[in-house]
Amino acid sequence: MVEGMIKSMTKNEVMEIAITSGKILLCNGAETYRVEDTMLRICAMRGMRDVSAFCTPSAIIISDESLKGNCYMARVTDRGVNLSLVSEINDISFGLKTWPYNFTETMAILQEKLTRRARPIYIDIISAGFGGGGFAVMLGGGVKEFIAAFAGSAISMWIIKLLSPFKPSSFWSTTLAGAFISVVTILARKLFPNVNMELTIAGAIMPYLPGMAFTNGLRDYIAGDLISGNSRAGEAVFLVSGIVIGIAAVLGTIYK
Amino acid sequence: MLIKIFAAFVATLAFAVLFNSPRKIIFQAGIVGAVGFAIYIYLMETLELSSMTSNFAGTVGLSVCSEIFARRYKEPVTVFSVPGFLPLVPGLPLYRAMNYFILNDFVMGMQTFLETCIDAAAIAMGILCVSGLAKVYKTSKYMVEEHKNEGERK
Repeated sequence: MVEGMIKSMTKNEVMEIAITSGKILLCNGAETYRVEDTMLRICAMRGMRDVSAFCTPSAIIISDESLKGNCYMARVTDRGVNLSLVSEINDISFGLKTWPYNFTETMAILQEKLTRRARPIYIDIISAGFGGGGFAVMLGGGVKEFIAAFAGSAISMWIIKLLSPFKPSSFWSTTLAGAFISVVTILARKLFPNVNMELTIAGAIMPYLPGMAFTNGLRDYIAGDLISGNSRAGEAVFLVSGIVIGIAAVLGTIYK
Repeated sequence: MLIKIFAAFVATLAFAVLFNSPRKIIFQAGIVGAVGFAIYIYLMETLELSSMTSNFAGTVGLSVCSEIFARRYKEPVTVFSVPGFLPLVPGLPLYRAMNYFILNDFVMGMQTFLETCIDAAAIAMGILCVSGLAKVYKTSKYMVEEHKNEGERK
């Protein structure tokens, strides 16, 4: 089949595919520009050029610009990071020209991606541990700092994952992570008195600093999406203050 | 220094896994992180430039690297740049600033905090410069192609 199936779909079906892909992208940490661009590209494949898309970090709107056109909106409440889904949707949207599936099959593929189950939590825990430990060494620590930061990051990630079924707000969970990191570091100092606390804590908090929000916010500014840029930068400041409050609460109570 | 760069590589690799990157590009993301940190630490410790300049140069280096990789492996740029720039994030100064505030030393606390903010601003400038230029490059390539097509049609 040379001609893609997308030409034979109705306008509404194409828009439904577009908004579902946009939702998957936004839920998994793509920047605003990419979400809008992907949705418009999917519509343009069908020959719909007068479509406008609007995306903020919490809602997506796509609408046909003619008066009789349809308008779809999707609300996004919980945003995580899953870069492989972003890359898969990117591949799909570029491959739509020779897309061999019809509407139902495409929606089934997208639904599978939308409701894909999270991988087992031990991968998250171990990688967070190696991230934190690696940063402790990078800042100038030794083996002891590596072990302490590994334990701090891994334990706090484990606790966040345990609490995630209760859907805590992101501020609350980063604050808790900061608190647990400082508890673990203090315990490590009790065990080995010459652990460098500064390097350990600074390394262990790295998995919780909002690097994603920061970079995406800046890229939004560059693309001209000022609303998303502002709100993502705000999110970054909010999360940093959360983690700082968590550490300060524990250290301040223990050393006073 | 080599140990630190290797640690940056391992840490970026771990973050790429944590962010659930596509399996085939995890290694490349680690290289992006190591490149950025190597530039930073070389300027900072060997040439003894200011922290702001080295942060800026490191970010520019890693952003260029991730734009190149993104075109080479046909993946979104975010996949490389998000884990890659994490080694430069000023986590240690942030912790120090907070520590001074706990000890009621507001003068030192504010000074360290401002330094942290300036570092973050330098990183932001680096990202803005490169992704702005990358956008211009993309548009110009597109315009050249349009021009060619028009010529052929005529």
